[in-house]
Amino acid sequence: MNLKEKIEKHLLEVQKPSRYIGGEVGSVIKDKSKVDVRFAFCFPDTYDIGMSHLGMKILYSLTNERENYWCERCYAPGNDFEEIMRKNDIPLYALESLDPIKDFDFIGFTLQYELSYSTILNMLDLAGIPIFAKDRTPELTQIVVAGGPCVCNPEPLADFFDIFILGEGEEVNLELMDLYHEMKKQGASRIEFLRKATQIEGIYVPQFYSFEYKEDGTIERMNVSDGAPEVIRKRIIKDMDKVYYPENFVVPFTEIVHDRVSVEVLRGCIRGCRFCQAGFIYRPFREKSTESICRQTKALCENTGYDEVSLASLSTSDHSDIDHMLTQLIDYTANERINLSLPSLRVDNFSESLLEKIKKVRKSGLTFAAEGGTQRLRDVINKNVSEDEIMNTCRIAFEGGYSSVKLYFMMGLPTETDADIEGIADLAQRIVDLFYSIENRPKGRGVQVSVSCATFVPKPFTPFQFEPQDTREMIEHKQELLLSSVKTKKVKVSYHDPNVSMLEVILAKGDRRLCKVIYAAWKKGCKFDSWEEHYKFDKWMEAFSDCGVDPSFYANRRFEYDEILPWDHLDYLVSKEFLIRENKTAHQSKTTPNCRLRCSGCGVNKKVGRECF
Amino acid sequence: MIRVRATFEKKGRAKYISHLDLNRCMLRTFRRSRLPIWYTEGFNPHPYYSFALALSLGFESSCEIMDFNLNEDVPFDEVRDRLNAVMPEGMRVVKVAEQVQKITAIAKAEYAFSLVSDDTDGLFEAVQNLLAQPEILIEKKTKKGIKTVDIKPDMEVLSCEKNGNSVDISMHLPAGTQTNYNPTLFMEALKLTTEIQFEPENIRRMAILCADNTVFA
Repeated sequence: MNLKEKIEKHLLEVQKPSRYIGGEVGSVIKDKSKVDVRFAFCFPDTYDIGMSHLGMKILYSLTNERENYWCERCYAPGNDFEEIMRKNDIPLYALESLDPIKDFDFIGFTLQYELSYSTILNMLDLAGIPIFAKDRTPELTQIVVAGGPCVCNPEPLADFFDIFILGEGEEVNLELMDLYHEMKKQGASRIEFLRKATQIEGIYVPQFYSFEYKEDGTIERMNVSDGAPEVIRKRIIKDMDKVYYPENFVVPFTEIVHDRVSVEVLRGCIRGCRFCQAGFIYRPFREKSTESICRQTKALCENTGYDEVSLASLSTSDHSDIDHMLTQLIDYTANERINLSLPSLRVDNFSESLLEKIKKVRKSGLTFAAEGGTQRLRDVINKNVSEDEIMNTCRIAFEGGYSSVKLYFMMGLPTETDADIEGIADLAQRIVDLFYSIENRPKGRGVQVSVSCATFVPKPFTPFQFEPQDTREMIEHKQELLLSSVKTKKVKVSYHDPNVSMLEVILAKGDRRLCKVIYAAWKKGCKFDSWEEHYKFDKWMEAFSDCGVDPSFYANRRFEYDEILPWDHLDYLVSKEFLIRENKTAHQSKTTPNCRLRCSGCGVNKKVGRECF
Repeated sequence: MIRVRATFEKKGRAKYISHLDLNRCMLRTFRRSRLPIWYTEGFNPHPYYSFALALSLGFESSCEIMDFNLNEDVPFDEVRDRLNAVMPEGMRVVKVAEQVQKITAIAKAEYAFSLVSDDTDGLFEAVQNLLAQPEILIEKKTKKGIKTVDIKPDMEVLSCEKNGNSVDISMHLPAGTQTNYNPTLFMEALKLTTEIQFEPENIRRMAILCADNTVFA
């Protein structure tokens, strides 16, 4: 029985079987006999999540443009199907060819969030690929690589990967595959390929680096071997209008999380919110032209048949041609009966005519990421949204018929006091009061203000990378305080499990000593840690204790400015001096203007060799 | 507005597309085809199309019926070709024509399937015994709860043959707006009367029929 028959024999026993058999419109099928390099692009979560990821769509199409390279998709099976796979010897396979991914040249994972790490180990195991890089064949095949935002500190995964790819993959992925193809023809070995690969900018081969630790547990020094570079710099694309963008997506049968056309409008962010990793690791700020955005939107809508399109960026409102761009897009989408969704759009300075048009297409609710409850705290985190702005926008919205508002906050931010927590309840209350003060408010309905609180997770390459996370006791105290500060049923409070955020910070700021913890946790059955129903906090704590690793060393300790950080040898263009400067400014409750107003000297322009604006 | 009826196949990997997903899939297929499909009027206009009969997940079919309307006159063959150019693997429009009969004219459907077993002789005998019963009672889930029905009077076996490691059966079962029997009901009934293990395979809907056994069109 071949693999396809084995799969089909059991497919009707599982939830949403169309996730496991491929055949979607837009998927790329090639003749394997004419393919030189095969790449399995793996997303360490289920199909429904992974298929929504834009980066994968870009790199999938880009790789498949090359006739002799074949990129296929692979996702983590749900528990029901995993059980069947293990029982019936079905190894993890790719959706296009239904071939086992263990036979591929590259097995590439995208690291989008830290809580997917245990799932990666599970997928390697399910594929029949040795979990530790050192146990893989000396031959040149089965190269396990990773890219994505979490690669900015990949140390907790260093033992499991052959290669980490830093920064944007559009150019470097193909360079790496070209090198592989060339060396494969020459009959080179795995180690020879890895050595040569370190010469490509953005390629980090962790096995050529080792660390020594001080008695207090911090890093003493890093050693480099095999001629690998001391510092690995991330790759960026210079021109967003010339870079490849797909004209087609794989269109799933089953509903996925982001089931629509997604068009990237810009990369990087000018805002510099001090908690936001994406705001720093994706620098410099680069825009796509209105012309490219409109052309790509049209092509994607026509080729996929989607009737919904969304704009992807960290802050779409910061596009310099936003008014004109949205006007053009809305004209097209309205005419074609396509829904245009505009997430997180600041509407402060739009023209009257555009506002009218947006009103017609905008269906989503009103959401503010205020992040901090008081202006002082918002200054600390450099989140430049003022209460006046929130109130003004709410007023316009209430007058326009809205009656519910969502507010996002973080808890446990640096310098936070009880007054800042009470400030969250006060702000929500003032929005409730505002609603009832408006004469022409929506009649017959009460107002609903939803307050959602996440626990702050300090991340590498942000000014807050040095900060400790609040302990669980501190967070629980703040959660109780917030609940007791809310005096009305019109304000609804929800918050995240602090135990999840604790694991997130440990994995984000961890070093190589965590590899064995992740392995132990997976052995104890941990996977899908970002799914509430699958998260096993006690198993993780057991794993830490079994390995003799203290979680609070990573979670609740202040990292010193002069300490060697686990990610110091990785260069994300933003200088450590700048991050230290920003950290100090934060502790003085002072803001830093956005990059367009004034360059604050993060160092990116010097390294890229040109001004950002 | 032109009323159109398409007959399409759903085979191979497409059999894993659920009925709910088929709806979404067709919406996108229509959009890709850029055919001038008629949209409903009202607050939330959407393309109008409807399927005559739902097909169970995992069944293949050569005769699915989908009705929709066009705003402009497009030759039927062109409609067929433009849809086929953008259909997913396993789905193919075989015919586009006018809507001759009303959906309510559908009375039954023809199904074919194989029951794979290590003991085909025993299974064949069990099938024969079951078919010889005066009634075949089975519990059926309905919107009002579980009720026991006798499927025998409405079931018409067309063929039943041993074929290598399987017993191949084809039958007519009631279908349409009134009564719908799924061939899995028959398999459940069979399981109740025999110890012999079997696995259903290749369940296919072969035809959608009117009361007089003519093909619905």
